Amino acid sequence: MAEMMVTEDVAAERKAFFMDLYQKAFPLVARYVSSMGGSFEEAKDVFQDALVIYYEKLTTAPIELQHSEKAYLLGIAKHLWARKNNSKQRHTSLDDSLEGIAATENDPASSTEKLMELLNTAGQKCMELLRAFYYDKLPLHKISGLFGFSGTRSATVQKYKCLEKIRDTVKEKSLTYEDFLE
Amino acid sequence: MRTSLNEIKQIDDYLFRHTTEADHLLFEARLILQPTLREKVLWQQRTYDIIRQYSRRKLKAEIETVHQQLFNEPEHHSFSRKIRAFFSSFDSAQD
Repeated sequence: MAEMMVTEDVAAERKAFFMDLYQKAFPLVARYVSSMGGSFEEAKDVFQDALVIYYEKLTTAPIELQHSEKAYLLGIAKHLWARKNNSKQRHTSLDDSLEGIAATENDPASSTEKLMELLNTAGQKCMELLRAFYYDKLPLHKISGLFGFSGTRSATVQKYKCLEKIRDTVKEKSLTYEDFLE
Repeated sequence: MRTSLNEIKQIDDYLFRHTTEADHLLFEARLILQPTLREKVLWQQRTYDIIRQYSRRKLKAEIETVHQQLFNEPEHHSFSRKIRAFFSSFDSAQD
């Protein structure tokens, strides 16, 4: 229970971070999208994807911002908007890691969707740990504290155990060959 | 760690380039010689992809919570009004 509360603290920090960015930058993005003839929903989608991209950039490497955060977010949003409205050109200069952000609402019957559902329930504890390691890229000592491990070594061992478990699940459940290739 | 976990770690180190150049080459040689290892590497890559998708969904859900709060709670009324004003033909059924 105690460890759960610490995890929630990290989530609360993230929430405050997004709340701040929303208030600072969404007005700019909304104004831009509206000036381009877009709807509220479209502005929201583009902005939320921009937040995800920004978050992922921050976790990957420190960014030296030339301008303010909000200018940076507006820049990403403009790029996303251009891409969205230029769908004839399927591939732009955005790197592949950004692909899939827009494609999160997939066919509910696809094996990826079924797998996600399963991981959300049966594998959630491991997935949260793996998320902290590989996506949020939290430092080892922090993860160790968050998830209540006795030390960084046991956190590391648990990471590999989870990786093995999830890899087995992925292999077992995902399988049509087409899906694997997509 | 047990053997299978060591192998998971080796694949992890290989894929994220946490190895020396020599170890990297050595691992690549093993991949050529061991089809089962190659298969494990592919599944592990697929697993990282799944972790990323899972994490993005969770993150987007967190962002959506923030959105709902800003557009539904009275304390943020002036903010939501400001935004909605940009969209004159705004559909009132929204949110």
